[in-house]
Amino acid sequence: MSTMNLEPVPGRTDEMIVNMGPQHPATHGVLRVVLGLEGERITRAVPHIGYLHRNHEKIEEARTYPMVIAYTDRMDYVSGTQNELPFVLAVEDMLGVEVPDRAKKIRTIFFELYRLASHLVWMGTAMLDLGAISPFLYTFWDREIILGIVEKTAGARMLPNYYTFGGVRRDVHPDFFKDVADFLDHMERRMVDYEHLVLESPVVHARTKGVGVLDQERAVARGVSGPVLRASGVAYDVRKAFPYDAYPDVEFEIPTSPDGDTYARFWVRFQEMYQSIRILRQLLELTPKTGPYKGRAPARLKPPAGERYRAVENSRGELGVLVVSDGSDKPYRVKHRGAAFSNLQIIPDLFVGAKFSDAIAILSSLDPVFGEIDR
Amino acid sequence: MSLLQEVWQAVKAIGTGMATVHKRVYEEAPTEFYPYVKPELPPVSVQSLALVENEDGSERCIVCLQCERACPAQVITIERHRNPEGKGFLIDRFDIDLVNCMYCAACVEACPVSSIVTIQDFEMSTYDLQTLKADIDFLHEQARRARQWYSPKFGVELRTDDGRIEKAPPEMQPGGLAEILKPAEEVDS
Amino acid sequence: MRPIPIPEDRHFRPRLIGYDPQKSRPWLERTVYAAYVFVFWLIVIATYAGVPALFGALGWDGGWGFVLMRVLQVVLLFLLSAVIALLLILVLRKYLGKVQERFGPMHYGPAGGIQTVFDALKLLAKEDFVPAAADALTFRLAPAVTFVASFAMFAVIPFASGWVLADTNVGLIYLIAVSTLSAYGVLLGGVSSGNKWALIGALRAGAQMVSYEIPLALVFLTVAVWSGTLRLGGIVDAQLGLWNFLPLALPFVLYVIASLAELKHIPFDFPEAESELIAGYNVEYSGMSFAFFFLAEFVELFLLPALIVVFFFGGWHGPLFGIEPGSLAAGALESLYFTLKTAVWVWIFLWIRATLPRYRDDQLMEFAWKAMIPLALFGLVLAAYMRLIWR
Repeated sequence: MSTMNLEPVPGRTDEMIVNMGPQHPATHGVLRVVLGLEGERITRAVPHIGYLHRNHEKIEEARTYPMVIAYTDRMDYVSGTQNELPFVLAVEDMLGVEVPDRAKKIRTIFFELYRLASHLVWMGTAMLDLGAISPFLYTFWDREIILGIVEKTAGARMLPNYYTFGGVRRDVHPDFFKDVADFLDHMERRMVDYEHLVLESPVVHARTKGVGVLDQERAVARGVSGPVLRASGVAYDVRKAFPYDAYPDVEFEIPTSPDGDTYARFWVRFQEMYQSIRILRQLLELTPKTGPYKGRAPARLKPPAGERYRAVENSRGELGVLVVSDGSDKPYRVKHRGAAFSNLQIIPDLFVGAKFSDAIAILSSLDPVFGEIDR
Repeated sequence: MSLLQEVWQAVKAIGTGMATVHKRVYEEAPTEFYPYVKPELPPVSVQSLALVENEDGSERCIVCLQCERACPAQVITIERHRNPEGKGFLIDRFDIDLVNCMYCAACVEACPVSSIVTIQDFEMSTYDLQTLKADIDFLHEQARRARQWYSPKFGVELRTDDGRIEKAPPEMQPGGLAEILKPAEEVDS
Repeated sequence: MRPIPIPEDRHFRPRLIGYDPQKSRPWLERTVYAAYVFVFWLIVIATYAGVPALFGALGWDGGWGFVLMRVLQVVLLFLLSAVIALLLILVLRKYLGKVQERFGPMHYGPAGGIQTVFDALKLLAKEDFVPAAADALTFRLAPAVTFVASFAMFAVIPFASGWVLADTNVGLIYLIAVSTLSAYGVLLGGVSSGNKWALIGALRAGAQMVSYEIPLALVFLTVAVWSGTLRLGGIVDAQLGLWNFLPLALPFVLYVIASLAELKHIPFDFPEAESELIAGYNVEYSGMSFAFFFLAEFVELFLLPALIVVFFFGGWHGPLFGIEPGSLAAGALESLYFTLKTAVWVWIFLWIRATLPRYRDDQLMEFAWKAMIPLALFGLVLAAYMRLIWR
């Protein structure tokens, strides 16, 4: 218990116990970290989570399979349809549903659009944490365009409930491919500005280089994934390691950096945005304009008894789901493996010994989303 | 020498950043003046739910309970009794708790007769949450006020000025429906 | 049937004062700024020419009459600082809005021009709250200390030739003394709040003060050595041929950086870093106490650029078009030049604020001790040699 509630050390007066969060502006939601501060230096750090807990996994046991998709949306609320995919893939495997090629490509386009949207939110909030206000508003306007494209097809902006077993719920809007192409042109122009404002800024260099170094060994031991892992030099990406949907058809690279510091995590996310644009450009070429968007799924969804784990490369890392079926129309158990949750485990490692201002920069480079962490 | 270069790089980067920021002054802001100018939402946008009646005022809903079964948030409550004269069922109660509704439109997907539809009326702010516990009159009123609505079966439907309900032209339809709803000769040519 | 929650015409419509906020009107905005600057200019003329002329005409320019005249001038300067704060907050919000692809205040007054007046009224109406854990006396005193320390710098600022409250020959030393005081207010306010974030903010402010005051004082010294006087009017007069920013380029750059630090301005706003310390030293303040911190901040945002103009950009100097120097018209024109030069520098500071993120506090300290102080000393020696050779 003593590790949970940070008690002052008797007789030690130079350490101040500060409670950061859950209403602190830099904690991206409802993270609470109890910090022991010695001047500006952090001596102890205990993260507390659970302020946004909604009992997702238990609720999903009481819902039929199509209903669960709507619930998975609510986990990582800045990356929309990305959460639906692992569950959809797992149930498709269990049912043996064939997914048409075009549906796979549409799903991948949405997946990558949401990766761009999520990284844009990360960039804005990370720069806000570092003290720059303007990039926040620029990135949110770009994200607004993505959400507008999604809304035109799926009917909702952040929680679209768009994927379904065998494909997607409805065909894309006739303007969809043109909208995406226009957005990519716009995004390529804007990326130049973001390079100037974020990656090239000497202030960002000063704040992030050599700060919060996560070495390769510890990154693997702590089970982090996604950009945080790749910034530590491990080229692991579910899209390459266990390809799903249309990823085998497209060419892209996995950007990695050997440094493992906060700047490397910034840099890797930036390069991922370029790769997303590249993937989207290829998919726009490859996807047929018309065709089937949904395979034949059984009307009564009763997967045979058994279990299945599927994972996808979310904006934050490996987002997996384990579905256990007992042969009824409701899953026996749904276990989500959240990337943001696993990435948050390294907070005490990286915080202790850092400056208080560094802690803010490190936290923003981990890009936690509390809808997924607390579930 | 390298120190001087470093300083020069930093100064140049700060200058470029400042120029990047300042050039927005000369561009028109993309701001939408929301309370004064209403945003144009796509027809499929899920903002609220409504229960459509036929043109003659009779009920479209056949009380099949599909929406109640499909609802993930389980906010739809329907009670019915068998029609004493003729076939089918009559509604006793049709409530949707729009406070707990998560607007996933699963009910709209499930509806076989496109009675429950999504509408674009998003301005539902209220001081009293109880007013959002919609009963059947509330849902009918929402539909009567709406100019257009969407359901996956019938696509976008419009209410004309003289009260008739008609299908929207193909260019207003979302993907997948535009082809189906096109007049036959156009498809041939 | 339950009532439908929202009536047909249910949009929130703010009351408009003669303006349609649906599009930006750059010329209207510029007119609003010009109107504020014009009011500012009128107050300056009234303070430095009108009041002495009035007292001279009445024959009250000796003894208690002189004291009364000074009191009246100080009251007018307080009014001036209020106008400065209203204008600068408006310009800050408008400019940040413009560069961030939005519009800034749009609703109250022409192009949102009197929004800040309403904000000030709101702060006036709010409860002046003292937390239970705070040391009440110090807590209430701190905003006053901060504001008075900033406001006292007005005494030696020359708006035009001879237009200065105290044309003392120790003006520079007075400036160093007074500008250091404003950090005391921040320190006292943060420590007395009884809040850990405020305490950290106050301690950061203290550390920052120690670091930047030294290069700032060294730059003051360099200017004094170059001009051969400690009197601010004398420094301006010495720049008649050549503005100081050319021969004193290095001290000039150091001064801009140090004044960013003194202003607690991005990229050096550690004492109040919103995303780290929430609001730092003023986190517990509300109502008028907070307004005074705010007022002090924006008065300083005027005064430090004004000092840049005095030290490096020739103060009030500008083409006089044949008007006889020393007359009322010449003074008015000179004070206008001074105001406009200052406005350009304020804009540059706001531009920096719109662009840059925040450094870490120990990086400022490192920079101040390891780079700025040696460079400032070098600049001082260089200026002394240059003066020996060329003057």
